Amino acid sequence: MRDNRSTRFAFQLGAVVLALGIATLALLAAGAQPIQAYRNIILGAVGSWDVAANVLVSWVPLLLATSGLLVTFTVGLWNIGIEGQITLGAIFTTWALRSLQSSAMDPALVIILAVLAGMAGGALWAMFAGALKTFGGVNEIFGGLGLNFVATALNLWLIFGPWKRPGVASMSGTLPFERALWMPIAAGSSRLTPMTLIIAVIAILAVYAMIEGTYFGLRLKAVGKNQKSAYILGIPTWQHMMSSFAICGVFAGLAGAVQVTSVYHRLIPSISSGYGYMGLMVAMLVGYKASIAAPVALFFAALNVGSIQLPIVMKLDSSLAGVLQGTLVLFVILGQGARGRLLKKAKVRT
Amino acid sequence: MHVELRKIAKCFGALRANDAITLTVPASTILGILGENGAGKSTLMKIFSGFYSPDSGEILLDGKAVRISSPADAIRQGIGMLHQDPLDFPPLRVLDDFILGRRGGLIPNRRGAAKEFKELALRFDFSIDPDVYVDTLTVGERQQLEILRLLWLGARVLILDEPTTGISLPQKEKLFATLKKLAAEGMTIIFVSHKLEDVEALCTQAAVLRQGVLVGEMLPPFQTKDLIEMMFGKEVPLAPKLKLEPGKSVLAAKHIALDGIRLQIKGVDLEVRAGEVIGLAGMEGSGQALFLGACAGLAQPTEGSFCLDEDEHDMTGRSHHDFRREGVAYLPAARLEQALVAGLSLTEHFILSEGMKGLFIDRRKSEELAASRIALYNIKGRPDSAVESLSGGNQQRALLALMRSPLKLILVEHPTRGLDIESTIYVWGKLKERCAQGTAIVFISADLDEVLQYSDRVMVFFAGRVSPPLDSGKLSVEELGRLIGGKGWEALQGATEHA
Amino acid sequence: MRNVSRIFLMLLIAVVVGSAAFAQSAPPAAGSNLTIGLVMVGPYNDHGWSQANYDGIQYVLAKVPGTKLVYIDKANSADRPGTTVSQLGESLVAQGAKLVVFSSDDMTDEAIKFAQDHKDIFVVLTSGSQQWKDGKDYKPLPNMINVMGRMEYMKMVAGVAAAMTTKTGKIGFLGPLINDETRRLAASAYLGAKYAWVNYLKKDAKDLQFKVTWIGFWFNIPGVTSDPTQVADDFFNTGFDVVISGIDTTEAVAEAAKYQAQGKTVWAVPYDYAKAIDEGKGVSLGVPYFNWGPAYSAVVTSAMKGTWKSHWEWNAPDWKNINNPDTSAVGFKKGTLSKAASDGVDTFVGELGKGLNLWKGPLNTQDGKPYLKAGTVATDQQVWYLPQLLEGMQGQSVSK
Repeated sequence: MRDNRSTRFAFQLGAVVLALGIATLALLAAGAQPIQAYRNIILGAVGSWDVAANVLVSWVPLLLATSGLLVTFTVGLWNIGIEGQITLGAIFTTWALRSLQSSAMDPALVIILAVLAGMAGGALWAMFAGALKTFGGVNEIFGGLGLNFVATALNLWLIFGPWKRPGVASMSGTLPFERALWMPIAAGSSRLTPMTLIIAVIAILAVYAMIEGTYFGLRLKAVGKNQKSAYILGIPTWQHMMSSFAICGVFAGLAGAVQVTSVYHRLIPSISSGYGYMGLMVAMLVGYKASIAAPVALFFAALNVGSIQLPIVMKLDSSLAGVLQGTLVLFVILGQGARGRLLKKAKVRT
Repeated sequence: MHVELRKIAKCFGALRANDAITLTVPASTILGILGENGAGKSTLMKIFSGFYSPDSGEILLDGKAVRISSPADAIRQGIGMLHQDPLDFPPLRVLDDFILGRRGGLIPNRRGAAKEFKELALRFDFSIDPDVYVDTLTVGERQQLEILRLLWLGARVLILDEPTTGISLPQKEKLFATLKKLAAEGMTIIFVSHKLEDVEALCTQAAVLRQGVLVGEMLPPFQTKDLIEMMFGKEVPLAPKLKLEPGKSVLAAKHIALDGIRLQIKGVDLEVRAGEVIGLAGMEGSGQALFLGACAGLAQPTEGSFCLDEDEHDMTGRSHHDFRREGVAYLPAARLEQALVAGLSLTEHFILSEGMKGLFIDRRKSEELAASRIALYNIKGRPDSAVESLSGGNQQRALLALMRSPLKLILVEHPTRGLDIESTIYVWGKLKERCAQGTAIVFISADLDEVLQYSDRVMVFFAGRVSPPLDSGKLSVEELGRLIGGKGWEALQGATEHA
Repeated sequence: MRNVSRIFLMLLIAVVVGSAAFAQSAPPAAGSNLTIGLVMVGPYNDHGWSQANYDGIQYVLAKVPGTKLVYIDKANSADRPGTTVSQLGESLVAQGAKLVVFSSDDMTDEAIKFAQDHKDIFVVLTSGSQQWKDGKDYKPLPNMINVMGRMEYMKMVAGVAAAMTTKTGKIGFLGPLINDETRRLAASAYLGAKYAWVNYLKKDAKDLQFKVTWIGFWFNIPGVTSDPTQVADDFFNTGFDVVISGIDTTEAVAEAAKYQAQGKTVWAVPYDYAKAIDEGKGVSLGVPYFNWGPAYSAVVTSAMKGTWKSHWEWNAPDWKNINNPDTSAVGFKKGTLSKAASDGVDTFVGELGKGLNLWKGPLNTQDGKPYLKAGTVATDQQVWYLPQLLEGMQGQSVSK
């Protein structure tokens, strides 16, 4: 066997087929028609302009989270704390909007400041995880998980406490902001915000350019591939890890800001919508390469949005999308492992 | 048990770790296997104890050919291996550790095992409490525990890999007494070591490996000189050395004490002068790598100080990057693990080590830089070659090419390990060029010829003891070999005591 | 050229005026066929609020010819991350829904957004008050109707059942979060209990203890709310022998059953879903419940016939038979009641039917300030927006 584009593609295709197979089995076990289920998911994702717009709305925060994670993965870190970073981004954005909503400031300026605050909030939370790792020796996975819990608790406390609606604490979140403080919605759509699309595209391009084209990105790569060697080569390793945390936090915070300013228009208990965890899956699936993150994230968003049709049309649980996404990641990674082993064997034989 | 190894061979890629080794060890023998690092001792023992399977050759136990498929299989056939790092379970209690590995029965018979443990311990006069946790034991006690465990599991051949490292003298004496007692009872014992005195004190037979080949066997009385010659090769006449006038002081190490994982060194003094070459000799793990790393700021001394330059500015406690900025380069032996980044190209390495400034990578400039360095250091590789695809020699050349100019001090571990003659000569040529420019070099090597040939002065490390810098011109390979093997230290003036 | 631009301008004006006019009116009649979209906050079979709504729509399907249902349940951001309720509503519209029922107060923001974005779709927001002209949250939307049942009456009945049963004179109220609705429901239970205590049992009002403990939400969220099991236990352990539940889940009944099994005489009153009575045999005194069917039938019919008019409705029970599924918006199913208690409940319902109003002065709020002067009857606004618990009740009035 040779290591080339076509074998790689064959293995990826095999992974997709296997994942579809597992999902099909799950559907059959639930007593449903698989073809019809897939048809409904596809129609639910691209069947009309409205649902396609919903896919894009979901794509933006997912791609932002993925963009950030590509930076931490490059430096070899598992920033599982991204969920908390998204949440903190949303909290900071909400805080800025609340503080400025009654001022005389131009709403556009308020939104910009709120988004910047969100980015700062995400970065701050990520730096906590970074500091725990660097100065406390806490593995970033454990630190991140802990900080996720703290972020959730803080968020709930704000929603049910200081930021509750007048007289009422509600699971549906804080009082919605005035329409003036929403990111402008495209004409003819009920929720597509072109500005966030532009932000997401710029984000992934910036990450791609940074990792592939800058000295900083190269140093991140070196630290990620071999921390000891990178240090001997003169690269300050912990400083680069910290920076990558901060950068990922900025993107995560941006995702949180988008959730507040253009999706929910308020702070809700599960404001991160699990985009952090899903971003981890996307990053793993694309092999930590920025070049194909955007389309894969779009595919995941489409699965998410499309699968809402399952409970509506077929009375099936929509977690099928999660099953499909999870098995897909699993099989692609398994495929990479199997390919690596086969290649090694082939090498030994020759 | 009568053990026979026939034409055992094992290759790792191009490296012949074991080349048709044939050994016969009758029952009741204590065989000492000697050899420098990388001679193939460990590989042979790992094959014998089931960790590796040989490429060819066979193993006979009591005249019967056997196949040993795993360490568990080995112990079932009566072969027990005591590793250099005890393979025990520190968070467990002694008795639980003892029971582990026993086959049969879902629920261990603790009471029965406790009884047998006590009987066994009594037989060898070991005093280990079965109810304490393993991590409260000393290395020597853990070794005793492991021996008891292997005996209990039915070992009839005992392999010990460098068992005297890290244990106290009384523990060593007890170990030797135990081994002699076991041998008298018919046990076959294989004792892997680089310590000549241990082999001489204990063994009834000795075998020497060198570069994967069995170069000789010997029965007592052992001739130290012959053993050293077998281990390190024939004494070669030294090439005339170009003596440089010692320049200004570059590095002053004063009363350095260091804490390693298995050993400490203490009270080490060394002053390195511009253009000088210092060789650090010793068996691997004797403290020289620890000391070299400390000179680069990679390990922090617990006592003493490091100063740089004529003005002796204090660098104690500073980071490696501070040393680097001062013009100290460090070239580790594990090139792909500690010096180069697998997955990155040569060009990318040059960009990184040059510390290029700016935001976006200047592709043209970096490729020009890479191309010129590749040509200058005669590296067989393209600018876009991944470093792991280069041969060892070319990786070493790349490391040299990555060094910046000017440098005060180069610290190198095993500059020519694994290199062919051509690369060896090339590497030293480049290093000597640096010396001529006033750079001092401190290097570690296991190759005594290399140490004597290129050093102006030599420091010998043995189990935590450090010799003063010795004039290499007054040292022979044999003398150096004896020192490395732990002999002749009494005659040395100014050597440090055991820390 | 001028002509072209003039025509263009006129067209523009027509569009603007037209859409403005359109915005002022309800959607056109749906005709003889209507697909109803139902958005539920919890699972459709939750034995609580969501299932009561689901059953209400099932009633419509059975009674109003030409109706079909598409629904989505678990419409909350925890169960369906990344989605918004208005987006889920649109998914139902894509499946043909012309009328969408948002069946929870929690969906208010999204339902308003949906109604604004989809002026051609009929919107029902259950338990909201946005279309109440005299309400504080009035926000005119021609395509929206608010529906609510006067549960206050049935909470009073629950209070009567509790007062007629308690041996210790101590009644606990397991409250969810604190808002206008939950305050007035707790106060209603208290009013009923006090009325029975004084008028039927002829006891001194001072000897009746009525304590409200809020857990912080409609159901237990570990780490966020108080644990309702714990709160119920605390009641039973401190001499409260009847606990009236105001939350969506059945901890009060489960704990009462546990204590009864240990030989204690305690009872509980579950809430809001009629069939919840089947789960607490022996410990449930009865259940006050919503019957959404008749109200939903009416709004669906109005959408089909073109008589839809944006409004808010707060539907009373049918006093002839509060458990009539075709006419009564709220009801009370009796459970394990003594003869005396059962008679007390019947008497009380009869009195209510004859015009008894417990929301009548003199009534003070918890801080002792007059809420209703002697002889005055509370307006709907005064009841709906009850600012505090009433004097005589223990417990927090306003969330801190």
